[in-house]
Amino acid sequence: MDLVLIQLLNGVQYGLLIFLAASGLTLVFGIMGVINLSHGSFYMLGAYGALTLTQFTGDIFLSLALGVPLAFVFGFIIEWLFIRHLYDRDHLQQVLLTFALILIFNEAQKILWGSYPHSVPVPGYLQGGIKISQFLSYPYYRVAVAAFCVALALAMMFVIQKTRIGRIIRAGESNREMVEALGIDSRLLFRFVFASGAALAATAGIVAAPLESVYPGIGEPVLIISFVVVVIGGIGSIKGAFVGAILIGVADALGKVYFPAFSSSVVYALMAAVLIARPGGLFGRAA
Amino acid sequence: MLARPRPLVIVILLALLAYAVALPFFGGPFALKFATRIMITGIFVISLDLLIGITGMVSFGHALYFGLGAYSLYFISPVSSAANAFFAIPFAILLAGAVAVVVGSVAVLTKGFYFIMVTLAFGQMGFSLFFDTKIAGGTDGAYINVRPVFSIGSQQLLSFSNRTVFFYFCLAALVLSYLFLLWLVRTPFGRVLQGIHHNEARMSALGFNTYAYKLASYVIAGAMAGFAGVLFAAIDGYVAPELLGWRESGLAIMMVVLGGAGTLYGPVLGAILYSIVEETLKSASELTAIFSLVMNTATAKWLGGIVANSWSMALGFFLIAAVLAAPKGIAGFIERFAGEAKRSKPREIKPSAERREREKAMLLEVENLSRAFGGLVAVNGVSVKFPPNKVHGIIGPNGAGKTTFINVLSGALKPSAGNIRLENDEIGGKKPYHVARRGLGRSYQRTNVILPFTARENCALAAQAQFPSPFRFNNKWRREAEDEAVENALKAAGIAPERADIRASNLSHGEQRQLEIAMLIASGAKLLLLDEPLAGMGPEETGRVTALLRELSADHTIVLIEHDMDAIFAAADTLTVLVEGKLLAHGTPEEIRNNKAVREAYLGEWGQEAKP
Repeated sequence: MDLVLIQLLNGVQYGLLIFLAASGLTLVFGIMGVINLSHGSFYMLGAYGALTLTQFTGDIFLSLALGVPLAFVFGFIIEWLFIRHLYDRDHLQQVLLTFALILIFNEAQKILWGSYPHSVPVPGYLQGGIKISQFLSYPYYRVAVAAFCVALALAMMFVIQKTRIGRIIRAGESNREMVEALGIDSRLLFRFVFASGAALAATAGIVAAPLESVYPGIGEPVLIISFVVVVIGGIGSIKGAFVGAILIGVADALGKVYFPAFSSSVVYALMAAVLIARPGGLFGRAA
Repeated sequence: MLARPRPLVIVILLALLAYAVALPFFGGPFALKFATRIMITGIFVISLDLLIGITGMVSFGHALYFGLGAYSLYFISPVSSAANAFFAIPFAILLAGAVAVVVGSVAVLTKGFYFIMVTLAFGQMGFSLFFDTKIAGGTDGAYINVRPVFSIGSQQLLSFSNRTVFFYFCLAALVLSYLFLLWLVRTPFGRVLQGIHHNEARMSALGFNTYAYKLASYVIAGAMAGFAGVLFAAIDGYVAPELLGWRESGLAIMMVVLGGAGTLYGPVLGAILYSIVEETLKSASELTAIFSLVMNTATAKWLGGIVANSWSMALGFFLIAAVLAAPKGIAGFIERFAGEAKRSKPREIKPSAERREREKAMLLEVENLSRAFGGLVAVNGVSVKFPPNKVHGIIGPNGAGKTTFINVLSGALKPSAGNIRLENDEIGGKKPYHVARRGLGRSYQRTNVILPFTARENCALAAQAQFPSPFRFNNKWRREAEDEAVENALKAAGIAPERADIRASNLSHGEQRQLEIAMLIASGAKLLLLDEPLAGMGPEETGRVTALLRELSADHTIVLIEHDMDAIFAAADTLTVLVEGKLLAHGTPEEIRNNKAVREAYLGEWGQEAKP
């Protein structure tokens, strides 16, 4: 029973982390209409960035404070260099160009950090955990990560629902041309959205770094699972990404308990079930 | 529609083929293996082109079937003796095809971005199945110790362990796969796939079950990829789970686009180019040789070493440059030099008396029909009868629910309540293709034809929709009847014969609208539902199309929405007035003109001008 509880907690915490990555993906597609396969690379660069920054700062949260703006600027540059050429092109070319970006980012990672896994320390004041039973405890750092993700999710919902930029984002999601016709510079909007998406993925990578080892290709499972989350939640929907991510996190955790051999298939089965019932995702516009 | 390859393309392909046939006589074992791998990859990528370039479904999980085909050789091979290829190959094709049926039946429910993601996810599911479990060697991969042989009884015909034999076998397999797909996309079945690529809604409205066609395309492509996979496993006798993964799928898409999607031969060229580029970038010595053409040897050696060390980064930049510079791939360049495709000449049609026999136009009855969107009731309890062989106009102010009304009639929307009967057959809530097959054809407010097809090809597509057998590969069966329907439709819709073989994208707006009507006639529809057929037409075109509608009513029932009041009062036999979703009046133009309620509620704005 304790194992199930721990797994459930892990599942929710994993889901929250995935939400950060998936929300970036869903925003970029919902607003810009771009399929960004290199989204997982931003997660990977976030994790490796955390490795290097923590070596200097000694604290993962200081690395976070430094890393997120860096990731934002990096996303800004990547959009300017590559992504902006994709807006008038079809999905196929977007898939291709962002796939090529993965090759480049992976190689860059290998040159800069090598092929061996690394670990990032949990800060001293978050060592240890909450005692759940006689034998089991739940690490403070995981609790902190979960709390951070929830806070960020709430902040995002606030920005999107209540602020001017949020209103533009929501408008752009449902009618891109109209937003342009109203005199909003969509190039700037897109650059901002893409950079935010990159920053979100990197944020997830940074806070996840102390949870597991940092290794080459760390972003790829995150990319795939983010896709699944976006499909389940409905493209462009932050709320959908949130619900989808938690569902996936819990399904994955329970799958590991009950069907250990096929645990990774459980999330895909969940996705298939959602698609059969609602081909546009849970919160999506009709597909 | 995909035309037969131009002479230039045929010359290039034959040159490559000749080179390949000669290769075993001068190439070493490495070159032979390299070429074998390209041949197999070629089969894999053209099967993907059937999905991406022909049917318009970007699958990001195609490697699933390639990998399954490869693993099936492992499954069927005895530990220390050779599998019989007569069984191994069909087994691989069946396994991949069967999985494609299951995966496809879910994935094909989705479109566009969702389809990309869903196929990707299913591919990863297959990958993790082989990666995480021990069904076939797990992470370490699976070994096939002895290469398969073709044998009958104890008589061994050919063995894949002979490199040259295997190479020629793969070459033959590639050529046959290409010819098979080329034939397939040019059959009526393939024509529908291409129609779906360019305009799925239209195909559905014409009466095609697009889901079934897309699924069929997906399964054929999957089975072919399985065929490629089983050959691939025989190269090294080793299969790794990564073969099913998304990188492999991504690379396959790369090759398709690099070569030119939708051309079938392009992806093969893409596979060749990609393999050569990759091999060159990996080799420091070759790079040095290339670089030293433009710089001194020392620098060339230094740079060659750096690039070869990070070859996959260089590959990434190469691919980005290729995508941005040549979105249509290698085939795009070739086609530019090859000129416009020649299209086959239409055959002479001999009219036959029995086929001329006209079917009866249909009666449409609507009873208490409602359609609500949440709280908004767009159509509210409308009951009306449209008798056959008449032109019926539907008018009403903006927002009156006219378009919703005909969307419900055509099956594009489900009714919230009420009945729709076409000749006593209930069609309310049936799928659009079902409604269309019953004989109700519709056109759209915005012109909705398959732009890359010629007018004649558009009509042929429509004509084949009227014959119930869904999947047709044989061109001859019913072909005459279809050809005749096409010619009659073109004539009836007033499309000049010399315009019939021009791509729809090059026709004038008026001609495109006429083509839409021609498609409806060719589809055998007996009740035509037209959404603003006169929109955007000049007075002369309006007159021509109005006269056309009058003529068509001799053997069709016509229901149309129209804003051009003068035209519709002149053309229609009855008028139906909708206001705020409700039926306000129904009668002859004369009755409507004199109807007080209509005048008050709606006609005010123009009633003064349009005097009786």
